[in-house]
Amino acid sequence: MSSAFPSLRTRPTLPAGGVSRATSVYLRSSSNAPVHSSVTSLNSLFNQANLNSPRPPEDEDCKGLVCRSFVPCIAVHVADDTNELAREKGFADFKGMLRPYGESIQGRITIRDSQGISTTHDDYGVRFVSLADVADSGEKWESGTSRAINGSSEKAASDGSGVFQGGSVEEVEKLVNLHMERAEELNETSLPSDGDTPASNQSFYMLYLRRILSALPLSPHETFSHPVACVIAISSRNANPIDSLRNLYNSGNHLPLPDYLSTDYLRYYVLVHDEDRDDIKKSVGRFHFQSGGYIVEMKLMKSTQLFDQMKKHFGLHCHLLRLRSGGASVISDDDAVVVPKTQWISAAEELHEIRSRDYDDEQPAACLPDSDAAGIQTMVREMTQVSVIPFMERCIATWNDQVASRRRGISGRFISMSKRYFSTSSSRNSTSSSSNYDALHQSYPPSSPEAQMRKLADYAFMVRDWRLAHSVYELLRTDFNNDKAWKYHAGAQEMAAISLILTGTGLTSKVRADTIAPMLDLSCYSYLSRCSATYHALRCLLVAVELLRIRGGGAADEAATWAIRARDMNAQGTIGHALITERVGACYTIREGIGSGAWGARKRKAAMWKMLAAGEWLEVSKLAQSRRCLDAALPVYEGSRFMHVHGFMQHLKQQAGYTPLLADLQDGRRRRGGEDSDEEGVEIQSETLHAGLKRKSLIVGREVEREVENEAESGLDRFVDS
Amino acid sequence: MSFYFAIVGTKDNPIYEAEFGTSKQGGDGVARFREEQRSMNQFIVHSSLDIVEEVQWATPTMLYMKCVDKFNNLQVSCFLTAGNIKFLLLHDQKADDAIRQFFTDVYDLYTKTLMNPFYEVDMRITSGVFDGKVKQAAKKYL
Repeated sequence: MSSAFPSLRTRPTLPAGGVSRATSVYLRSSSNAPVHSSVTSLNSLFNQANLNSPRPPEDEDCKGLVCRSFVPCIAVHVADDTNELAREKGFADFKGMLRPYGESIQGRITIRDSQGISTTHDDYGVRFVSLADVADSGEKWESGTSRAINGSSEKAASDGSGVFQGGSVEEVEKLVNLHMERAEELNETSLPSDGDTPASNQSFYMLYLRRILSALPLSPHETFSHPVACVIAISSRNANPIDSLRNLYNSGNHLPLPDYLSTDYLRYYVLVHDEDRDDIKKSVGRFHFQSGGYIVEMKLMKSTQLFDQMKKHFGLHCHLLRLRSGGASVISDDDAVVVPKTQWISAAEELHEIRSRDYDDEQPAACLPDSDAAGIQTMVREMTQVSVIPFMERCIATWNDQVASRRRGISGRFISMSKRYFSTSSSRNSTSSSSNYDALHQSYPPSSPEAQMRKLADYAFMVRDWRLAHSVYELLRTDFNNDKAWKYHAGAQEMAAISLILTGTGLTSKVRADTIAPMLDLSCYSYLSRCSATYHALRCLLVAVELLRIRGGGAADEAATWAIRARDMNAQGTIGHALITERVGACYTIREGIGSGAWGARKRKAAMWKMLAAGEWLEVSKLAQSRRCLDAALPVYEGSRFMHVHGFMQHLKQQAGYTPLLADLQDGRRRRGGEDSDEEGVEIQSETLHAGLKRKSLIVGREVEREVENEAESGLDRFVDS
Repeated sequence: MSFYFAIVGTKDNPIYEAEFGTSKQGGDGVARFREEQRSMNQFIVHSSLDIVEEVQWATPTMLYMKCVDKFNNLQVSCFLTAGNIKFLLLHDQKADDAIRQFFTDVYDLYTKTLMNPFYEVDMRITSGVFDGKVKQAAKKYL
């Protein structure tokens, strides 16, 4: 599956200076090697490429990022005593304890797709959300649609309700801004290290993208954030376990979940057994110790009996999770492991976390004893592999047979044609009754075939069966169009285009122009003009840009076009705008030409966009980012005799306090820009160019531009006169 | 309707640049570009060299390449001479035929410049006569 997508062999190209810097490092290190040092240095240069792991590093793996953001969402609904247990360990609640371990499941997950072919994935994950949060965020959606989607989830945070929802572009912007400021502060204080630039090249953009794709907001038109399963957990402390399980089941059903959410998800029962209770008296003595051990054993036996009962009732979907009770572990404990950081939290939540960490610094990192961590990981893995994935596969198979194939066959076509025919010729009233769309709430009831098919397509997408997903989305498109369900329509178009690109079929320019481009276009248009859902439109475009960019060739050019379109959408703030502009440049950089002259490469275009991005970074005064873009753009414009180009670059360089890489090659380390080193750098580069012009440009600031402009004008006049 | 015309040599260096407006339909022949647009013009033209090269080497050569690139609402048309010199015209409306005739005229002028024994390839063209004739051709066709 991964062979269809050539992984990035090299990192985004560094300017020539950077590459030679790398070789100089290698030459130095291999100078101790035997006599044929030139050969060994060349070998070490070539070997470096092989040392990279076959899978591109986290930051660069865009396709993986996209795949990992659309994953099953598992709700968590637990009894109070379980939450109590989790709080004792130092987490906010049980869900908070599970969440970090759900995001990257250990080991490989095997999935069987609709054709019966099984594929393994080792980067699978699930998201845990609390069922109460789902109910809350659903309500917010219904009461204030545009508010929740486009902006102020600050209201949610300030309410203290603790429901953090994704889907707000502004929050993401604020977050990235915060990170950048912190990073810049860090850079000021520490010495710049050699070769750190490649890694952080695109990391801010990756962060931006990841936050846009995190915590997908709950909405009727897509079911990625509808729960696929629900974890119902009680602990062994519970007085009457069977009752509380029954209560939990009922209360879960009776929570005010939104109408469009179907409640037939998988229920997974967990019995949390705490190994050693603190109230065992701390006395030393063999007798007590023995009896203490006996008590523990009794407890375990009780739990096991209870667990057997549960298994008899609920079947396979049960798990016994053994945790050590006792307080929160500290990192200095013998077998404590640090809980991994959650990567996929919404921007609002991360901002909240950072702010609260600012207030009280002595909050230690959360830790769990080793056995606990292993236990949770095993539980998540088993749950996914043994219960959730087969459940999803069964649902897919059922819905495929019952609902989708009915639509696909000849009779299906007749049904849809007759609907269309009758609806055009009949009055308004009968139109609304013949379709399942509830225009008032802008949703389909979950039992309608359209909603089920959308769920089918989303499930197929989540188990990475791209072909099936694509075929179902295609079916849905026409349905939603006829029903004038615009948001659904836009969503189906978007996912159809994305799943088509992910199937890995060859994307000739014809395919792209005929299918993908209109789909993306229509989806954006629908989102923007008919539903004013700027977040969804932005997300659609950014994901498409990433996937097309990886394809390379003509697709990379298209990726750049879509990125330009996203940029023009003005849905994002200034930081987002600058990030996307830089990304356009990155799209063009991917395209390396063939042959010795690199025919077909897009170096100049990439340089132009990077230069524009540098200008934008200057406007928001993020000098470090600006310098980075200039790094990439300058080599192309080095010897340019276009007057305005030259003047503009000089201007940018001065504004950003830029010191060129070339001048420091001997030192092997970047100097921070001061006025004299700046001039020196300018001198070195510009000796070969208009000697007369350059003397003047040593003067600071505005005058430079004016001088250049004057020269340019008089230069043109000179043509006429002489 | 404003135009920005550049002749670019083999090393991405500009040999000649000119701006004009349309003389048709009551235009006064003066280009109307905003200040920041002026510097962007050069960037746009420079970046479209990428596409020109690709078309040049990938497909059988033709002299007049029509519109090779778009940026926002501006289009770049190109004419490739036999010596790998590129005539690039930045314009905002389609006018294929008129542009082709303009390019042919300028090609004539350029060849005559080449015949000058003191002129070498890739040198800047500073002759006022050349400039005048180019502007005349622009007035005639564009």
